[in-house]
Amino acid sequence: MNDFDLVRKNLFRRKLRAALMIVSILIAFMIFGVLAGFYRAFTAGEDRAAADRLITVNKINFTQPMPIAYFNRVRAVDGVRQVTFANWFGGYYQDPKNFLMTLAVEPATYFDVYRSEFDIPPEQLQAFIRDRSSAVIGESLARKWGWKVGDRVPVASNIFTQRSGGHTWDFTIAGIVKGKTEQVDTNFLLLQYAYFDETRSFGKDTIGWLILQTNSPENNDRVAKTIDAMFANSTAETSTDTEKAFGKAFAAQFGNIALIVFLVVGAAFVTILMIVGNTMALSIRERTREIGVLKTLGFSGARILRMVLGESVLLALLGGLPGLAIAALITIALRASLANIAPAFAVSPVIALEGIALMIALGLITGIIPALNAMRLKIATALGRG
Amino acid sequence: MRSFLLQVIAVTSINLKSIAQRRWLSLSTVIAIALVVVVLLAFLAMANGFQRTIAGSGADDIAIVLRAGSQAEINSTVARDQVRLIEDGPGIARGTDGKPLISPELYLVVDGLKRSTKTKANLPLRGIGEQGAALRKGIAITAGRMFNRGSNEVVVGKALLREFEGFDLGSTVSFGATRWTVVGVFDAGGSVFESEIWADLSVVQSLFNRNNFVQTVRARLVGPAALNGLKSYSDNDPRLKLEVKSEAAYFAEQASQTSDLIQKLGWPLAIAMALGALAGALNTMYSSVAARATEIATLRAIGFGGFSAFVGTLAESLSLAAIGGLLGAAATYLIFDGVTASTLGGNFTQVVFDFKLSPWLIVEGVALALIVGLIGGLFPALRAARLPIVAGLYAN
Repeated sequence: MNDFDLVRKNLFRRKLRAALMIVSILIAFMIFGVLAGFYRAFTAGEDRAAADRLITVNKINFTQPMPIAYFNRVRAVDGVRQVTFANWFGGYYQDPKNFLMTLAVEPATYFDVYRSEFDIPPEQLQAFIRDRSSAVIGESLARKWGWKVGDRVPVASNIFTQRSGGHTWDFTIAGIVKGKTEQVDTNFLLLQYAYFDETRSFGKDTIGWLILQTNSPENNDRVAKTIDAMFANSTAETSTDTEKAFGKAFAAQFGNIALIVFLVVGAAFVTILMIVGNTMALSIRERTREIGVLKTLGFSGARILRMVLGESVLLALLGGLPGLAIAALITIALRASLANIAPAFAVSPVIALEGIALMIALGLITGIIPALNAMRLKIATALGRG
Repeated sequence: MRSFLLQVIAVTSINLKSIAQRRWLSLSTVIAIALVVVVLLAFLAMANGFQRTIAGSGADDIAIVLRAGSQAEINSTVARDQVRLIEDGPGIARGTDGKPLISPELYLVVDGLKRSTKTKANLPLRGIGEQGAALRKGIAITAGRMFNRGSNEVVVGKALLREFEGFDLGSTVSFGATRWTVVGVFDAGGSVFESEIWADLSVVQSLFNRNNFVQTVRARLVGPAALNGLKSYSDNDPRLKLEVKSEAAYFAEQASQTSDLIQKLGWPLAIAMALGALAGALNTMYSSVAARATEIATLRAIGFGGFSAFVGTLAESLSLAAIGGLLGAAATYLIFDGVTASTLGGNFTQVVFDFKLSPWLIVEGVALALIVGLIGGLFPALRAARLPIVAGLYAN
């Protein structure tokens, strides 16, 4: 029998107690896994944002329009590699509750600016450019509604009206866009701006925002300043920022999600710290005599310390690892329904590693006081007690 | 019967007095349950506060007219000709001058800076018609004055002023190339309107280049029952075909989306945490039964029934849970009640609201705590009741 067997046997000496501890640790790590996964997915836009991409919006607010003429003027700015633009469509399918993340874009430049994110077969992109009343959809949207290339889908707008009356546009699906990595959100529908602008009843010749790529991130600042200075004192002043800063500011509008996640995870951990810590202390106290016997047999203080700590760390791992596994299953189950706010919701390897580090920390913290007490225990006192 | 009751009371009091012997384990259970209740109540107070702010904003006798399918004011457009048709609609109250009491409105989003985070935030700039303020209940200018019609002046809600920078009375704000002076601050009885900036409709229309349309029309009805008449008037005129709702119904829909979401987050989290606390409670109570094994066996040996041991253990568990529940409710009240927060509402703009605990929410929180206490005490109590006397006497 080696030390590990002893640790294992000690831990499961009271099976019910060990099982209860494992359950409470499991739940804390399940909460940690799900919330950390959510937070990561929610802020993923920031991490994913390309360093050389800038967003230009109307200075009043990003919901205010800008003249389409800005597209060509920004394109001519020195240091700009490529520019594209988009306009919010306010799309839904059949019922206003079936929100479709829909943008009117300029196809060729859009897929050039986002080439590191999106993959579309060249012939499908060509078909999209050729057929003005076509649209392309992201893979996850295609999966959600079961739409295929060639399908004709009616997309209604909760904002715009067709010139001919009616709020619904019919589009043929020309292609399906894949994300180049797991984290890329593909829950969208893109349609051609030119066709949209021609058929809408108001707002003609205006766009929502410009997305531009600089030659190098070093030029970001200069390019942004040049653009904003170019339109200063006009009827539509602009505000240009990096994609990352823009995404971060937008996420912050929902409130301090980081603080909420931190408080809830914190509450869950304080709970198990107290429960497990006290129980470990109790179970070591119950074993005082035995520890005395072990010491009599020649076990050193350090070895006893290691064994007690080993027991608390083993307990934390036995609860924590399945907890993370359950969290991973929960994220998979909820991924589709949270696609709009937290794309690629998952327990990532980084979160799993953080979780394991937390488990070891938890094991050491809950075990350290009983372990030190056990280490310092004098044989005479131990055998004399109880 | 009397002796039975006395037995139960005696054992229960022994149980409760013995809590002190397991103070650390018991305290950890109390705190674990308290934390569960804090997490639950903080989420519910957030949902409740948000709900009250938005749902409390609408009136039954005000109709709001939007473009069909637009769902929110920010998306809607109503053409000028349609506004005229609505003015002539049935059931709309008229002022002493005979004019219909309606307010065509524009709802635009402008940037503000949140005081706490210094980040940009979407704020609503509402261009209101002549009757705009009168169509909302409890609007009172608390500082300065109302804007003058036809000038670049705005009044701001007091919640907006508190949460966002740069709107102090007398200051100049720029929205793009346009400049405006803040001439007044208004109170709107804690409703969502307190998170808004108001200006004269015609000035907003011309400075924001929106001359030919508005976004919504609000109308005072002669009574809540007049809504259906206005609805069918709009449905039957091909030039209108707009969505007509009571303002109360509109805001109730707006409120439910976000507050449902908050509740849907809060309950599963609290229940998961409650399961963790339950494991702790079971552990504490089994330890309690184990520690008192000799005592229970002794009582049984001198004629006490198993039922009294059962009740005693359950009472110990329930009192720990009750203390935890009340502690959690008190902590939530002290830490969160009245805390101001803001988030994006259904109109894509910031809604300022206060966390609001209610007696009913506290009942829900304490009930969850007691459920944890009940289940956490039940199984250990059964063990206590069934403890074989002989084994118990030799337990130590």
